[in-house]
Amino acid sequence: MSDLASASPETSPAGYRKLVSQALEDVPAGAPAADVWRALGAAGALSALYAGGNALGPVADPARLGALLRAVDARGDNGATLSVLVQAASALPVLGSGRSGPAPAAPSPVAAAQAQVLAGTAQVALAATDEATAGSDLSGLGTELRIEGDELVVQGGKRWVTNAGTAEYLLVLGRHRPGRHFTSFGWVLVPARTAGVTVRTAATDLLVNAATGHIAFDSVRLPADHLVGRNGRGMAVFARHMSTERLAGAQWAVALTSRVLADTRERLRRRTVDGEPLWHNAAVRQGFAECLVRVTQLRALCDNLAETAAKGQDLSAGALLKSAVGLTVDPVLARCAQLQGADGFAASGAQGIRAEAAVLGIGGGVTELMLAGVADLSEQLLTELRA
Amino acid sequence: MDPRFTELLAPFLKFLGDEEITAETSLREQGLDSMQAIELLFAIEDTFAVVLPDEAMNDATFATAGSLWNAISAASEAGQEASVR
Repeated sequence: MSDLASASPETSPAGYRKLVSQALEDVPAGAPAADVWRALGAAGALSALYAGGNALGPVADPARLGALLRAVDARGDNGATLSVLVQAASALPVLGSGRSGPAPAAPSPVAAAQAQVLAGTAQVALAATDEATAGSDLSGLGTELRIEGDELVVQGGKRWVTNAGTAEYLLVLGRHRPGRHFTSFGWVLVPARTAGVTVRTAATDLLVNAATGHIAFDSVRLPADHLVGRNGRGMAVFARHMSTERLAGAQWAVALTSRVLADTRERLRRRTVDGEPLWHNAAVRQGFAECLVRVTQLRALCDNLAETAAKGQDLSAGALLKSAVGLTVDPVLARCAQLQGADGFAASGAQGIRAEAAVLGIGGGVTELMLAGVADLSEQLLTELRA
Repeated sequence: MDPRFTELLAPFLKFLGDEEITAETSLREQGLDSMQAIELLFAIEDTFAVVLPDEAMNDATFATAGSLWNAISAASEAGQEASVR
């Protein structure tokens, strides 16, 4: 189990919100995501995020995770929020998963990297989506992780990796044997400046501050102590922490959509037609209210499933949350964009935010895949609904 | 095989129908996909208070009900011997 689980200070929910808010006070708008991360780490907001842990790594406190994402989202930089979300909800928990065998006498490179990332002095990128196959086909990934004596050799490539352009460490999911079985995969920690690592910036104007990139690994050689977690449990560890990432996605979705709704209502109050504010138009109010109901439903689902998803690491909760995000965010932002009219196309308008927020229905599992998972769980979910 | 094991296993096998689980029951043919296999692993480790060793983490262990039960039994016995020492 990670040491950081026991290092978490006792902080009340209000105290944690204040800690995060103060940490970000002096970070200028539009600052690089690394600056945001550094400020959070320096204030202790990252180490205080994890309220406990198990053999598969530290587990985030759901209320603190929500508070962290709300505070970062309030800066209005979706790329920076994505950068923080992936590190806090996925990368750090995977990095903290337990190792096989006896504890090493000296701190391992993995433990040292984890300490730096928690302190905010380094960033870590989670490299799972593979060059060899679609993101939804994780078991088909082609990046190889060969164990040759005391060395690991990484060969392959990863695509659309958040933080790839800025992270000091890359957490790479690779296969150590052929086949699709879940026991064929493991995680390796690759310092970004290791010989054989090439990072290419992704050609996109969206989520720029997430420093998204594609990474090639050309016979990258590392000491065996860069292996993260127990042998054969790479996919299991990832799956265990997926529900936390999905909760985080839902918490960000609530923060982002409510921010856009507030902005849209303000615009509707200011714009007039024939001397009357658009906000007084019945059709406008009805459309806006529909969005508000959808976001309130998502918030209620978050609150209801937060403990189960994060502390129970329950995959069904994660599938429900991510499905709900997919079904909520785009319709709400599309309506907001429409209500904002031509102004919606401005730099801070809802059209651009809608395009960036599409990542919530694609990254970490597309909505259609989540819905298929919900269908698989129909027996259990119906039983719970009818109880 | 322990009845607790077959009870635990049954809900993961969506194509099993009314068939009885035997040592030869193929887990994949009866509907155990990759994600469910991970859930099954955690359920087993929680229920039987064992940790499957690294060398048992392969597709052969998860091939049939019998092979999986053998791995659980071996891990359980190894755990008991370790606690006696």
